[in-house]
Amino acid sequence: MAGMHETSADASAPLSLGRRHLRFGWWALLAFLSVGAALEGLHGFKVGWYLDVSNETRRLLFTLGHAHGVLLSLVNVVFGLTVLSVGAPGFSARRFASPCLMAATLMLPGGFLLGGIVIYDGDPGPGVLIVPLGALLLFIAVLFTARSVGARALSGAARGNGNASRE
Amino acid sequence: MALEALLVLGLFAASLLPLVAWLRRQPPGSARLAGVLVWLGAAGGLAWAVFAYPRPVHDESLVENRPIEVPSDGYVSSKTCRSCHPHNYATWFGSYHRSMTQLATPEAVLGDFEAGDVWAHGERLALERRGDEFWVEREVSDGEGAAEVSAREWQQILMTTGSHHYQVYWVANGNTRELDPLPVVYRIPEGRWVPRSAVFLAPPVDTARDESGRWNNTCVHCHATQAQPRLLGPDEIDTRVGEFGIACESCHGPGADHVRANADPMRRYRQHFGDDPDPTIVNPAELPVELASHLCARCHGITEPRSLEEWQQTQLAGFAFEPGKNLSEAREIVECCAGEEAGLSPAEIERNLEREAPYFWPDGMVRIRGREFQGLLRTPCYTAGAMSCLSCHSMHQSADDPRPLKEWANDQLKPGMSGDQACLQCHASYAEAIEEHTHHSATSSGSRCYNCHMPYTVFGLLKANRSHQVDNPDVAKTVETGRPNACNQCHLKETLAWASDFLSEWYGTPPPPLGADEKKIAASVLWALQGDASQRALAAWTMGWAPALEVSGSEWTVPYLAELLLDPYDAVRFIAYQSLQDQGRVEEVAYDYVGPQPQRVEAAQRLLETWAAKPPSGPDVFGDEVLIDQRGSVDWESYERLTQDRDMRPVYLAE
Repeated sequence: MAGMHETSADASAPLSLGRRHLRFGWWALLAFLSVGAALEGLHGFKVGWYLDVSNETRRLLFTLGHAHGVLLSLVNVVFGLTVLSVGAPGFSARRFASPCLMAATLMLPGGFLLGGIVIYDGDPGPGVLIVPLGALLLFIAVLFTARSVGARALSGAARGNGNASRE
Repeated sequence: MALEALLVLGLFAASLLPLVAWLRRQPPGSARLAGVLVWLGAAGGLAWAVFAYPRPVHDESLVENRPIEVPSDGYVSSKTCRSCHPHNYATWFGSYHRSMTQLATPEAVLGDFEAGDVWAHGERLALERRGDEFWVEREVSDGEGAAEVSAREWQQILMTTGSHHYQVYWVANGNTRELDPLPVVYRIPEGRWVPRSAVFLAPPVDTARDESGRWNNTCVHCHATQAQPRLLGPDEIDTRVGEFGIACESCHGPGADHVRANADPMRRYRQHFGDDPDPTIVNPAELPVELASHLCARCHGITEPRSLEEWQQTQLAGFAFEPGKNLSEAREIVECCAGEEAGLSPAEIERNLEREAPYFWPDGMVRIRGREFQGLLRTPCYTAGAMSCLSCHSMHQSADDPRPLKEWANDQLKPGMSGDQACLQCHASYAEAIEEHTHHSATSSGSRCYNCHMPYTVFGLLKANRSHQVDNPDVAKTVETGRPNACNQCHLKETLAWASDFLSEWYGTPPPPLGADEKKIAASVLWALQGDASQRALAAWTMGWAPALEVSGSEWTVPYLAELLLDPYDAVRFIAYQSLQDQGRVEEVAYDYVGPQPQRVEAAQRLLETWAAKPPSGPDVFGDEVLIDQRGSVDWESYERLTQDRDMRPVYLAE
């Protein structure tokens, strides 16, 4: 974790990282909302490939893919806002969290969607194997973000205490 | 599979691009190296897992040793119907129609396959469960005549029939898709195995009937949807169905056009908001009563092919009937017992009688369960176009029906239709003066419409069942046909003369001439001792029927039920024992209706001894009509005389 210590070069980076996540989050949201619209279309036109009892597994996986995609897109937007609002302290940790979160945003819903394209009776296709990897990356991303936000809060409190003692 | 793997690995690689970029920005060192190694390890592991991923595919067309489920010719199966009709699907799924035929999965098999050995007609069958599979070891014959060799062989249970009263099990017999039933069935209410012959009203047999291929040539027609027996030759049985069990398209017809048309959401909403029926599917509720009833009659009626060609066609492609059509265009609807007035020749009359007699009372009223349409056919409410099967029954439980699904599924009656409302929905005027009509207290069982107009004169499933020919009580018909009448089924201690007098006085029904026994001995006693097997079965059943016991008491029935515990017919013995159980006498008699004869005799004797040792519990418990005086002494002389006079003609009623 040596690379996660604060450097002076990081001081100007939060703005670009925050914007990158806002951009990624909103585009991902558009993509996964489009997936939702496509699923609605499958309902509307009563497509048996999606709705029949024998395709129940596909329906579940596509629904999970759509739901996870939308939720993680919003998490990206929140991550971007967090980076912009909290600022420099803990930034390196968040910079590691960033690629993990982006990967999870693609892998979790993508794994569900891929796992639903080809199904084997009640079992999904091998695309679902990506899901646990995505879940692991999401866990790492959230852990590092939470820790760095906590560090920022502590350093803010310390600064507040220092000011009080000077007075 | 290659494309599938490529997509998975592509997604993995693309998703990790930001992480790779982050790694590249890290200073060279152990952290960067560790990151690269983890990335490579994950990619390699994923690639291995994708290729090693189990891909179990069940391809029904590859199954060779049993009938297969392959919808065709416009049939789409219930799997397609559910997404648009979830409520109807759910209530059908909870019905016994759905589970009439099932593959032998752990969910479907109800029998105790850990029971070890079971016996049927001296044959030992060893039962075993192996994981999710069910197996039986039995004797299998190879060759014919002198060359016949028997060996014990393990066979896998492939399919089941029934899930309500009893379950039959089918194994492959090695001739393409032909199935044989096991000679034992599992009785669900009692939770026990019994010989298959012991669940029908049938003369005693020493060996199981040869029913090789019975599912393919008989059961398939009504226990599956889109049945195609495809009996292409003696060694080429290629039975296929659209769906196992009686599914949506059995009643609604093939659904492909409906599915195609209703893929258009605008059309669907026009249908929802409009009043016009959807022409792409049959809705039985909107059919005229005759055609709606023909849907049920296809299986709940007796029909025959009209010619050899029609029969041959049935053996290949199944019944040439589709819902919404007139059944009589596809099959002859059997009506017993047409004579010269119907333009039949003496030879035709004789042929028909031979064919039909087992199913009907001599006056043509059907007497076997599962053929209710023949009763409806002779009911004025139906012939006047006012009543169909769907007047009382519903194939889908309504959303506002408070009963549990299982309770509704028992007889699939609409809410309220298990009582007078079934009749009062048309004959409302009787409700206002019910006692005037019935001459019974309004709250008594004698004022229930069903009890007088649909009495228990039909046999099936080891019990008496209500007739579906709505009729009036008439002692003359009892004398003519031997069929019990409603009055004497409840007033078990009364004679036919007694019932005839009341019917004459109350309704002007002409009294028939009666014999000496019919004037002085209770009708139920005559049926129990003197009657044929079906009369004995019905008499035994009414001796355990709560409304009858409330009116007639139960103590006097013991000598008769004891006699029926020794009946040559398995079914009669079963029902007699059931009635004793219903009377709460199970403690007095340990009995197995298919157990060894000496044990049965001992049990009956013990029952009689226990009964004789108890003093009568009150006045009028007995009576001359039931051949027992007030002190409890049985008139054994009359009893023996009636028993020796028993109608021993063979009766075979297998629903």
